[in-house]
Amino acid sequence: MSNLRSLVGPMVIVAIAVVAWSCETHRTALAPRTGGPLFQFLEFQCAPLKITGGGRIDYPPGGPDKNPPESHTYETFGAHVVASGQTDADGTCVAEQGALEWVDHRPEMEINGHPLNLHATAVTFAEQATDTDCQDGAARWGGKLRVENTGQEDLNFEVWDCDNGEPGAGHDGFAISVPALGYRVVCPDPDLPPTEPSCTLTGGNRQFHPTH
Amino acid sequence: MKIDRIRWAIRFAGLVLPMTWSPGSLAAQGAAASAFGVAVRTATINQTAPSAVLPTDGTLAQSQANDVRVGTLVAAQDAFATATGATDDALSDAVSSATLGTVSILDGLITADGVVAMASSTIDNSNAEGSSLANLVVNGVQVSDPAPNTRVDLPGVGYVVLNEQIATAGGITVNMIHVVLQQPVLGLLGVITGYSTTGNIVVGSASSSVN
Repeated sequence: MSNLRSLVGPMVIVAIAVVAWSCETHRTALAPRTGGPLFQFLEFQCAPLKITGGGRIDYPPGGPDKNPPESHTYETFGAHVVASGQTDADGTCVAEQGALEWVDHRPEMEINGHPLNLHATAVTFAEQATDTDCQDGAARWGGKLRVENTGQEDLNFEVWDCDNGEPGAGHDGFAISVPALGYRVVCPDPDLPPTEPSCTLTGGNRQFHPTH
Repeated sequence: MKIDRIRWAIRFAGLVLPMTWSPGSLAAQGAAASAFGVAVRTATINQTAPSAVLPTDGTLAQSQANDVRVGTLVAAQDAFATATGATDDALSDAVSSATLGTVSILDGLITADGVVAMASSTIDNSNAEGSSLANLVVNGVQVSDPAPNTRVDLPGVGYVVLNEQIATAGGITVNMIHVVLQQPVLGLLGVITGYSTTGNIVVGSASSSVN
């Protein structure tokens, strides 16, 4: 019995060490590369993550207050991404799955008389921000999308995704860039919460899930 | 020796039991979200379009329609319905939205040119932030930014509830324009004794909940 008792202590220490090791994030140095991330803010790591939800942005200006509804100056979206923290042979932090549905309701953005409608056809990468003011978690992720109005396909896109507490309206943020279209809904204003390039949600919520 | 065994058992239990404890707030939470652009229910019509319901695997659903027409009851353009979220214990979330461009209800009795219904739920919070109505005109009268659950009578038709917000179990439903169609109930001598509901028209609806 005393031999058994003497083993309990070391076993507990080993168990705690194993759990702590398994929780350690897998940090990877990620260098900008062609076809890779477009936003070059802050520092990122390849880590497991999931972000879900959707919402509304009133851009411009992209702050926490809604524009007058009569201006139709707002964007609505749904988006989610899942990543396991694995890199491929090129060093890209791979996204396992994801989706993006984006509608820009501004009259000047209409195509063929209908609101600009972007639909992700592939979500290929996702990196977690490590130095961010988004208190619950943030990431940049992206892939390829299609312009539903015109059928244009395989356009690179990237989003900045921020969960900055509850409720999402007035706290969380989102931003998108589609270089081939010259389309950017980005808010790098340091006076807006949060301070990263994301625009503040005026409705909805972004939810960061640390998928350990 | 027996006392030593009891002490060892107590220490072992003290070590293991805390690992099995989980607070009530971390019990399994279920996320649900749905949205639709237009729904009409009458004795002869049962139509909803476009609509989206959060899949059970908690990802994203979207549906859209450039044109929605239900006889002379509703005409709407550029309708989108989106439902997103995930079930993840205390981090469960659900968000849904319905957006429409120009809308005409009951042959122009009610018009608007921008409708947004948005519902958002997390474990401790549900709200309709982000919802709005643009250039809303009801029976010839402009209505700006109506407060939640604003009721306007529609003589000969029934009434409309604007920015209708209904608390649900762990969530919220927001119907931006809800027309209740009514007809009078006549008593003896043709006196109106009340009204009966003959149908409902909802334009811009979003629901979310986390339970």
